[in-house]
Amino acid sequence: MLYIHHTSCISPQKTYGGEALSFDKNSVDGKLLSIEPDYSGIPINILRRMGKAVRMGVGAALPLLKPGQPNGIIFGTAIGGMEDCIKFLNQIVQYEEGMLTPGNFVQSTPNAVASQIGLMTKNTGYNITHVHRGLAFEMALLDAMMMCEEKPDAEWLVGGVDEISAYNYNIERLGGWYKTADASSENLFTSATPGSIAGEGAAMFRVSGKGTNAIAAIEAVETIHTKEIIELSDRWKEFLDLHFGKESPELIISGDNGDSRIVPFYKAIQETTPAGADILRFKQFSGEFPTATGFALWLAVSINKLNSLPDSAFISRRGIASYRNAVIYNNYKGEQHSFILVQLP
Amino acid sequence: MSRILVTGMGVVSAIGSNVAENRQSLINGICGITRLEGFQSRFAGLMPFGEIKKNNSGLAAKYNLTKPGITRPCLLGLMAMKEMLDDAGLDEKILRSRSTAFINATTVGGMCLTDELYHDANAADTGSPYLGAYDNADTTLFLREYFGIGGVVNSINTACSSSANAIAFGAALIKTGRADRVIAGGVDCLAKFTINGFNSLHILSNELCRPFDESRKGLNLGEAAAYVVLESEDVAQNKKSYATLTGYCNANDAFHPSSLSDTGVGPYNAMHGALQKASLSPGDIGYINAHGTGTENNDLVESVAMQRLFENQPAFSSTKGNTGHTLGAAGSLESIFSILCLTNQEIYPALQFENKIPETGLIPNREYRKYVIEHVMTNSFGFGGNCTSLIFSRS
Repeated sequence: MLYIHHTSCISPQKTYGGEALSFDKNSVDGKLLSIEPDYSGIPINILRRMGKAVRMGVGAALPLLKPGQPNGIIFGTAIGGMEDCIKFLNQIVQYEEGMLTPGNFVQSTPNAVASQIGLMTKNTGYNITHVHRGLAFEMALLDAMMMCEEKPDAEWLVGGVDEISAYNYNIERLGGWYKTADASSENLFTSATPGSIAGEGAAMFRVSGKGTNAIAAIEAVETIHTKEIIELSDRWKEFLDLHFGKESPELIISGDNGDSRIVPFYKAIQETTPAGADILRFKQFSGEFPTATGFALWLAVSINKLNSLPDSAFISRRGIASYRNAVIYNNYKGEQHSFILVQLP
Repeated sequence: MSRILVTGMGVVSAIGSNVAENRQSLINGICGITRLEGFQSRFAGLMPFGEIKKNNSGLAAKYNLTKPGITRPCLLGLMAMKEMLDDAGLDEKILRSRSTAFINATTVGGMCLTDELYHDANAADTGSPYLGAYDNADTTLFLREYFGIGGVVNSINTACSSSANAIAFGAALIKTGRADRVIAGGVDCLAKFTINGFNSLHILSNELCRPFDESRKGLNLGEAAAYVVLESEDVAQNKKSYATLTGYCNANDAFHPSSLSDTGVGPYNAMHGALQKASLSPGDIGYINAHGTGTENNDLVESVAMQRLFENQPAFSSTKGNTGHTLGAAGSLESIFSILCLTNQEIYPALQFENKIPETGLIPNREYRKYVIEHVMTNSFGFGGNCTSLIFSRS
């Protein structure tokens, strides 16, 4: 069991810091860009050199480092600092491999976020970056779970981040992963076209193997690679049987991204869930990105305090005052799937 | 607690297309660092590289791969994994099992296609066949699908310690009962991107790299794919095994994005932590396959950290003088080299070494010799201060 003690989230919605939370921001040109804080905790000369992914990751992490040093930093990101990466690449091509400045190169490596947090806070413990595309955040969670089983008293910083840069947006757009004419968060679930809307964000969690004062617990993280709906449904049934028996989870948090090619997977999950679960969708708030399950986990952990979540976000809502559990199901590009079971106090 | 055995190995590097060839090259002191031929770069004639002299179309034809969009790391990874699977006797049914995991590491991934990536990142109309191939997970997903691996699948990037961490993560999966066997390792290819990146940091040498030599001028980039099969002793039963993975530790230097601290906080902690994990004392280590990139910073700091930890310096060397620095593949490549030392009770000559570093006075092993070793350590240190050490022991 992995216990969550603190959480922090920078996203396209108002989810960061002490301000009132809200979920009313819509996409612009098919993109949901993060509402970035002023990053007052990051020295200005360091901040200036940071790409957006590093900035969001470090910014979301800093509040969770106030209780003291964690034993290590465990991170998930599919692409890390893509903007710096392509800036460096553009230099290579435009200057025909001439004299280049190393700043962008160093910032472009996916491990730059976790290592920057380690560097800024002088954390000499475990430090790792999982980059398994649509399961990068889940692999960070799994890693943390294993760490907690081995050393229950130790504390870990776990998180995920990905950015929309002009470049990875372009690559994904050319790949057909974004909607074209009708790309907007308002009609994400009604458009019935291929593709989704672009999103970004950073979600961080301070975790340990001890349940005292925990705000949530993660009981299971299961990841599956398959392109077959049947295989997915079978694994889902097995997962629910194992953890819920004949009961139903109280809340399913669905990663439905409105992509007509992927929606059948989410339908299959819905159809094989015993009646009684509320179903909440979130990508109209976060947009689609490889580590969007970080946002979903933040949502799950915070769910009982979120009065501002609109009814329209729920496919079904029975009006439970306080959820005791939630399961996140996410599907990335029809190939990478995850179930995350969250217990709430 | 059931031990974690290494029951299979597969490798392709600049000094050989399989484990046996690599060992022969190590014994004979062969240096695979040569002139770059595989792609155009301004640096091709200016500095040497540890290039694998096999072209992509030849490799694709060898494996009957006709689908577009398959990158060089996929092909090299496939080659090394096939050798490893045969070696470990893993069949399709075992691969499909949910208790078989695959942990892959890469830092370059499909970015070896630097020019295609440039096009796709900036193009308005149509993309190349490689649109889905640039991230660090693409190779992993290709190999997973090719072999139909059924358990946990993951990709790790901690720069130059990536595949050492893939092995450590695999060990944790077995220890916590999440897998019975894990295929772990990494692959990285030469790329204009990394050549220019390392060059901009002024740490590439225009001559053959000289690890631990006083007059070292920097590293040579290389390419490799290297995988091991880790199996829980409970499921491996009477299978042959090369070694036991006894120690592993990941620690951060927390000093600078691209260089190590003077006293080697991260390297020391990684080596020390691995010894603790293995319940060994420094005196138990018979040989260290050092990170030894040949840069001024790394070799001095690694020497200082070894001297702080080891009262009597064990035999050591860096095989990067043979292969060049293979980045994300270095940890698993050098794990295999270390295991070869253990299983054959031998150590290999350090290449291009002449004079010791005056501050530390350490001399790497300079000739091939038979050598009694119970435990070997291998070090991998990366950008971002990501340091990992592994220890393998005789089975």
